[in-house]
Amino acid sequence: MSKQFLAALSAFLFVAPLGAQAPLRVAAAADLEPVLPPILVQFEKNTGIHAEATYQASATLTMQIENGAPFDVFLSADLSFPKRLIDAGLADAAGSSDSSTPITYAKGTLVLWERKDSQLPSPSLDLLRSPALKRLAIANPDRAPYGRAALAALQSLKLYDTLKPRLVTAENIAQAAQFVDSANADAGLISLTSALTPRLSADGSYFVIPRDLYPPIEQGAVVVSNTKQRDAAHKLLDFLLSPVIQTQLAKSGLTPVK
Amino acid sequence: MDWQAFALSLRLATVTTAILLAISVPLSSLIVLGRGRWLAAVEALATLPMVLPPTVLGFFLLVLLGPRTAFGRGIAALLGHPLAFSFDGLVVGSVIYSLPFAVQPLVAGFASVDAALVDAARLLGAGPVRLVSSILIPLARRSLLAAVVLSFLHTIGEFGVVLMLGGDIPGATRTLSIVLYDQVENFDYASAGHTALLLLGLSALALAAIYATSQKRGRARSA
Repeated sequence: MSKQFLAALSAFLFVAPLGAQAPLRVAAAADLEPVLPPILVQFEKNTGIHAEATYQASATLTMQIENGAPFDVFLSADLSFPKRLIDAGLADAAGSSDSSTPITYAKGTLVLWERKDSQLPSPSLDLLRSPALKRLAIANPDRAPYGRAALAALQSLKLYDTLKPRLVTAENIAQAAQFVDSANADAGLISLTSALTPRLSADGSYFVIPRDLYPPIEQGAVVVSNTKQRDAAHKLLDFLLSPVIQTQLAKSGLTPVK
Repeated sequence: MDWQAFALSLRLATVTTAILLAISVPLSSLIVLGRGRWLAAVEALATLPMVLPPTVLGFFLLVLLGPRTAFGRGIAALLGHPLAFSFDGLVVGSVIYSLPFAVQPLVAGFASVDAALVDAARLLGAGPVRLVSSILIPLARRSLLAAVVLSFLHTIGEFGVVLMLGGDIPGATRTLSIVLYDQVENFDYASAGHTALLLLGLSALALAAIYATSQKRGRARSA
């Protein structure tokens, strides 16, 4: 091996790439994966701030932030995880009216989703009552906000005890959708944001679960306290709450809060 | 400690290891004793499950074994139930996932047996079965042991495939690694610590016991 090659190789291996400016790092709940990317592009166009998002279950992101993950903003799929970080003194909602409460930026919608080629009745509350429904996919109710909502809805319908042996639990809402899309589960309680993705809207149809059946899925945002880009972080939160973006959220399956 | 999940993990690992032995001993013998370039392709194929991220492998299996493929429908008709979200499905997933961990040590062990011994046995008229059972296996005992231990432990610690293919059903597909992951994700660090410690402790004991006996035998032979 020539000396030049070795030098090039060690440069490649050991020298960190030089960026002009560290991007704003966004920890985003998995249900935002179909929604957030175009918003971040618009954000960069408007403000010149480049933001990069990591999509994970809200619980996982919370654990990572607790252990020092270098995120600047946390967009959760519920209020309990960002609240947990605020209580631990690791995040805040400074700048809003109450800095100890996460900023609600959208509300989630729970839907019952089924493949179009299913032999069972089309999605409705009757489908949930049908004995032909053998496998119903939900997200993990212990930590996935949509899983929690699914469980609450089944309990409100007094169907939980009947359906319990027929539930298959997925790690998150995307995996619950995969269980149904691969036809291994007959139907699934998933997020409207997932149901509206091109893939799932081509494969199946959905029924919006009546909102009085489950507590609202409020999605909260916080700024991670030891961020070095507090201004940029607040700009992103303001941007999310701006009328244009709120309208856009509505189109992708989230309910605007403004 | 979730003993139901513990028992399930043990059962899954035992069944998987037994099936893997039945597959990988003939397969590794074929790779070592056989001739032809296609055997390289066989060996490559048997190692390939290591490349895919386990959840992705689980996803492919979910689709392949599901009712949307003729294969999946055939298996469901044979068994009377679909493979996904069942113990049988986890066995299929685990066998594929752990195959490299059974085949690799066996191929290495069989290949290190003195070729002169194999040729001599062949000249004396030993068929392939005799060759494997009387020459390769006794002389590569430690590799066989390694294959068993690695397959078993790899299945106990298996996570991504089970997460995807299992659906977290208590008693059927909720294995100990899923329970452990749930405890961590639910911020129940104390329980997670207990579960992990017990799992590590038991595994360390079992491994030490296995290696101690095999070492004694090794020393006795060389003495």
